[in-house]
Amino acid sequence: MGSITPDFRFGNLVGSIIQLVLVILAIVTVLILPMIFFTLFFVPLPVVNGQVLTPYLFFSMVVDPSRTLPIVKFLMHTALFKAAIFPGFLFASLIAAATIFIERKLLAKMQLRVGPLYAGKIEGIFQLLADGLKLISKEIIIPSGADKPIFWLAPVMFVATSAAVVSLIPVAYGWVVADLDVGLIAAFALLGFFPLIALLYSWASNSKYPFIGGLRALHQMIAFEIPFFLSALPVVILSGSLNLTEIARSQHIFWNIFVMPINAFVFYISSLAELERIPFDLPEAESEIVAGWLTETSGMIFGLIQLGSYLKLYALSALFVILFLGGWYGPQIFPHELIPGASSSNIPLLKIIALDGLYNAVTVNSIFWFIVKTFGIILLMLITRGVNPRIRIDILLHTGWYKLIVLTFINLFVVLTLIYGGILGPGGMILPK
Amino acid sequence: MSNLEEKIDEAKKLSMQIVKETEADRLMTLSVGPQHPGSGHFRFVIKVDGDYIVNVDPDPGYVHRGHEKMCEYRNYFQNLPQLERPALHDSSNILYSYCLAVEDLVGINVPRRGQFIRAIASELDRLVYTQYWLAIYGIFLGHSTMFMWPAGDRELIIDLFERFSGHRVTHCFSIPGGVRNDFPYNFKEKCLTQVNYFEKRLKEYEHIFYNNPLFRQRTEGVGILPKEDAIKLGVTGSVLRASGVPYDIRKVEPYDIYDEIDFKVQHMKTCDSFARSYIPYLDMIESCHIIRQLLDKIPESGDVRVKLQGNMKGPPGESFKRVESGRGALGYHIVSDGASRPYRVKISTPSFRNLIALSYLLVGSKLGDMPSIYWSLNYWPIEADR
Amino acid sequence: MNTASGFIKALESGTKHLFIKRFTLRYPEKKLKFDGDGYQFDPKRGVGIAGLRGRHILFHDKCTGCQLCSIACEGIAEAIGMVKIDEHWKQNKKNIMPQIDYGKCVFCGLCVDACPFYALYMTNDYELSSFTKSSLIYTPSQLAVKPRYDGDVEIKIDSKGANHG
Repeated sequence: MGSITPDFRFGNLVGSIIQLVLVILAIVTVLILPMIFFTLFFVPLPVVNGQVLTPYLFFSMVVDPSRTLPIVKFLMHTALFKAAIFPGFLFASLIAAATIFIERKLLAKMQLRVGPLYAGKIEGIFQLLADGLKLISKEIIIPSGADKPIFWLAPVMFVATSAAVVSLIPVAYGWVVADLDVGLIAAFALLGFFPLIALLYSWASNSKYPFIGGLRALHQMIAFEIPFFLSALPVVILSGSLNLTEIARSQHIFWNIFVMPINAFVFYISSLAELERIPFDLPEAESEIVAGWLTETSGMIFGLIQLGSYLKLYALSALFVILFLGGWYGPQIFPHELIPGASSSNIPLLKIIALDGLYNAVTVNSIFWFIVKTFGIILLMLITRGVNPRIRIDILLHTGWYKLIVLTFINLFVVLTLIYGGILGPGGMILPK
Repeated sequence: MSNLEEKIDEAKKLSMQIVKETEADRLMTLSVGPQHPGSGHFRFVIKVDGDYIVNVDPDPGYVHRGHEKMCEYRNYFQNLPQLERPALHDSSNILYSYCLAVEDLVGINVPRRGQFIRAIASELDRLVYTQYWLAIYGIFLGHSTMFMWPAGDRELIIDLFERFSGHRVTHCFSIPGGVRNDFPYNFKEKCLTQVNYFEKRLKEYEHIFYNNPLFRQRTEGVGILPKEDAIKLGVTGSVLRASGVPYDIRKVEPYDIYDEIDFKVQHMKTCDSFARSYIPYLDMIESCHIIRQLLDKIPESGDVRVKLQGNMKGPPGESFKRVESGRGALGYHIVSDGASRPYRVKISTPSFRNLIALSYLLVGSKLGDMPSIYWSLNYWPIEADR
Repeated sequence: MNTASGFIKALESGTKHLFIKRFTLRYPEKKLKFDGDGYQFDPKRGVGIAGLRGRHILFHDKCTGCQLCSIACEGIAEAIGMVKIDEHWKQNKKNIMPQIDYGKCVFCGLCVDACPFYALYMTNDYELSSFTKSSLIYTPSQLAVKPRYDGDVEIKIDSKGANHG
């Protein structure tokens, strides 16, 4: 490059800041304020303490300390908050983002090098933000002859299905977006949708390497679905229900992994294969088929698929924790009240600081242990990525169809023996139900 | 239409027919070309039937730069920087052979300390090249840790090169007549420390790579090259030694001081891809032993170079010399007619000779075996194209 | 079982490396140290003196304008051209000195080997990037400047692994 960078002039900086502020003001006035008023006209607003909560009432209640916390508590239990923020999409996205960063740094430490370093003051913590901005600004190239509707829809469907699996996961008792009675089967049904998306996308790319990658993805994911279901079967038999919250609650005495370690191992391997992680990342094998069914993704489509992939990673690790590791149970390490004696005093400010009525020690404890266990499983998946090469398709299919199914049956017979012997299960000695 | 235009039309019709026939079958033509993460600077076109490779058509020449022709326009010393470029990671070895050929042509003897230093540089370069090869092998199989560890440990040796030759990779250190400069004053201790630590790091690779069941499943029994076929096809280097033939030029035609060094020629009898990937690793450990012996036996002081004139005239005649480089037998054939520029320089590279085994081995194997067979042949595209 | 023990050993080896120090050199906060002053050549003895082959340094009180460095480079990179200078030196009758184009130089050092008057050496300076191609051509007076390079990081090998610094 033969150009010399221009000198810095303060007037130019002030001018560009003013321009930015004016543009933001224009957008807010023309677009956002009308949207707010439009919504407020047509959306039925909730009733709090016998009064309809209009925005003006909301703002006036916020400054009255005795009514702030009930409003916040009400908002936290609405369906929109649960689906979008906690334990729904935003929470899962934050965990996914943290996973990507931890993966890069952990692999770098194992490989005796520094990972992302320069984006952000502390050891590259804003690297993900920089990557996201880069992906947004890239051009999306569609190959000629590609099937345009499917090409645009498939990544969105990928993220939507991953988010649907995330919505089934209970983080603590009562904190689940969709509390289905057949939660486990719903999770498996949603997971069965992913090979279809991979195949459709690879076919719509109209290219040879995605074609091979899509077929490999189909073979791999379908082969590992059966060990996946079979390894979760004894859990259902033991706890007597398909509801994920009930499965987690039935482990309050001992965790399921002590009774069925082989099944936990099979579940772990099958979930690695479902997630297309190394050592099972054949559909994306870089040195054989360029990038598999992801070859023609560019720009934000690639970003969406990465997001969906890491959401699925969180969802399957959380499923492992709920099925085998006792869900959210753990020793109680959070105190009953944030500031002792705050709820019985008469000072409103103290009540607000101590989050009286909002802070539930058992729930916070559950969430804490759930996150710790999920990150433990995610860490195990990341370390497996660091030490193994990629597997070949015929060894993969041999393992999935022969060896893993046999292993699940062994553990199934052990558990059935224990149940019929009267030791475990409903009506047994150890686990009264 | 004239005769030529008729022929061109016929050829076009015939090629369209062939394309239609092959695509009408179950065969799919994949171009593993230069813009492919699994091929380096080299194109080969494969026809795939499901998961099995039916036909391979290697197409070298992407990086052809005309080194042999360029040699005819430069005198014997000006040839050095451009002749080390085909095998840049291994530059001491590719220049070693050239220096031996020129010294044979002119008829001089290099002093003893110079010979020792040249041999140390050659063995260190073998370590550098094999580490690079191992790193790429790891990443071809999807093992990112096996990419980073060899690339990092290679830095230990490159640091040594920077101390005594002046550059990390493009050394230009062995010249006709000896070497360019002597070792720095504290080089021997540093070399021993770093080579010892390097050998300790090499032992780690066994756990995570060579004894990893997934790696073994991918490479054992894959791409078998029987002993008779290996000799018939004329392959060289670690490929030949993995098929059970203990042939190493340092033992068969010893050059410089290699007849005084005691080392084993590693060979394995299994002839598969695992043997081809394990032999360079064993060779690296042997090289560490050789370096320690050389550092023991090197004379304390002495000349390192016979000063030849910059634009010397080579006496008429020809000479041919081979050395054992990181990939196999690398030979130079120099023909001179009395001028200060060589009349013809022919470089015989091991990569080009091993290329014939690619089409032999890939046919009938699975698509997933392609990286493990292709890179285990120790093929360096730039050296094959020259 | 052979496979299981193979996997467990691989996992163990990988986890062990989480506790070894990182090997990276954090350039540009830390720079490498070099022994010596750069590559030099002794025409009387006919051998060079080991050192890093970086930027050249030209001693104006020794250069005679014999053009041997330029002739040596003609077959390699054609990076050295002779230019007329304003100064008058006693040993330099033709008043010409070499100028080096670092856009073309391959840092092979054969020009240093060709100089018979101890006038052209190489130094430790390798940070030569610039914004324009024309500023990569170093005139003889630019080549006479001694470089200021202070790096102090070396590879250290201890019980926790090797690292820079």
